[in-house]
Amino acid sequence: MEETGWQKHIVPLVAPRVRAALSALPPEVAGELEEIRLRAGQPLLLQTGRGELFGGEYGVAKTAAEALRLTAAELQQILLAMTEFSLYARDEELKRGYLALPGGHRAGFAGRAVLEDGRVKLLRDINAVNIRIARQIKGAALQLLPHVYCRQKKRVYHTLLVSAPQAGKTTMLRDLARLLSNGDAREGRPGMKVGIVDERSEIAGCFRGEPQLDVGMRTDVLDGCPKAEGMMMLVRSMSPQVLVTDELGRPEDVRAVEEAVTTGASVITTAHGQNAAELIKRPGLAYLLENAFFERVVVLSRRHGPGTIEAVYAGESVRKWWRTEGKGNVG
Amino acid sequence: MWVKAFGAMLILSATIMWSNTEIAKLRGRLRQLEEFRLALRLLAAEIGYTATPLPRALEQVACRLETDAVQSFFLSVAGRLQGEAAADAGAAWLETVRNLQSRLQLTAKDWAVLSRTAAGLGGLGREDQLKQLNAAEAQLASHAAAAAAQAASGEKMWRYLGVLSGLGVVILLL
Repeated sequence: MEETGWQKHIVPLVAPRVRAALSALPPEVAGELEEIRLRAGQPLLLQTGRGELFGGEYGVAKTAAEALRLTAAELQQILLAMTEFSLYARDEELKRGYLALPGGHRAGFAGRAVLEDGRVKLLRDINAVNIRIARQIKGAALQLLPHVYCRQKKRVYHTLLVSAPQAGKTTMLRDLARLLSNGDAREGRPGMKVGIVDERSEIAGCFRGEPQLDVGMRTDVLDGCPKAEGMMMLVRSMSPQVLVTDELGRPEDVRAVEEAVTTGASVITTAHGQNAAELIKRPGLAYLLENAFFERVVVLSRRHGPGTIEAVYAGESVRKWWRTEGKGNVG
Repeated sequence: MWVKAFGAMLILSATIMWSNTEIAKLRGRLRQLEEFRLALRLLAAEIGYTATPLPRALEQVACRLETDAVQSFFLSVAGRLQGEAAADAGAAWLETVRNLQSRLQLTAKDWAVLSRTAAGLGGLGREDQLKQLNAAEAQLASHAAAAAAQAASGEKMWRYLGVLSGLGVVILLL
């Protein structure tokens, strides 16, 4: 297992006072950091795998009173630095409330939305920034791979990864893409052509179009592209054997999946939800589950840390899981 | 006699050089205004067509300019934005205006237009950013038109003034 060093990417982008705080974090905190929460006038919060900490002037603070508090101007400065002083260059991402950062990390923003024709044109007067640390854990999906890949048929099952937020879905998805793409000659598993449609730059962490995280040598990434359109583009142009995307759910996504499957591509995707009952609220996903599209459903949690495999449903047990936990618990 | 002739020649050369310097200033201002106009159009193209981030867009613009002073203006702003102390693009632009003001032939009114360009630079959406750059370019165009007319009439005036003032001094001294 190895991790990426986030400080060299994040520290130069934040306001000078936060730079000092983040640079001085003890290695054990820096190594486990998941989120950096900056809110105007509020204490700097550091979310780690073990819980929440306050960020002080030089490292971790003991109390909220000792914690660093940023001004709205400093948050605006952070936004500008993250866009290389060019909001216009990232306005499409900002409309969706986030920015992809070097190293595969992401920053989410909250502030005053400027509307045009009822749609968000730009975010102004930033009052909160949430920096999410991308943590590539190579080997995270090794345990899962035998459930997803069929050795006899040398194909990948249509797979759905289900979990609550921050339980490791994207980490698993990324590592599955990497493992399938690279293959393993010793195990007699050939490398496969993998296509990733990364609508929110979360899977491959692309920055200026280049994947910042290792997604494998035979992987093509379509970054920032709507899922349905992206899947069709990849199928037409890159002939992937495996299509990887996250958060399927819209009706057009479902149509694209159905079409992609006719080309022989296997689909691996994710869904937010604690259980099947929550998935039924998404008609597109419910339709796919109802029609037994997914051959494998993997339920993840963070019971023993992010990426804990709670259950793997295969074949008929997927239907059973859907009928009992999903449809059976509705209403 | 030869000494007087030599002295008269020296005086005449000096006044002609002085007039040529003034003519060069007029021409220099016009050339720099045109170069800034071109630079703003190029910058707008970088922003509008390829959404290139400012540090790289400014460098690209500088590469396509011919006047050293204007080129160094854009390189200087780009350099400041790439430095660790950079706070925002407008501040970097204004700082460059302050530092390079004495090296260019532009007038206070020209600098005022360029300083106003700093407001919101890099902090606006694409359309607004383009509008702002186009407005600045249009203003510089009107300054350039006035500078061209001034150069045309001023050139003649300075040329005559150079020769005639030289002759005047020579006659007075003789």
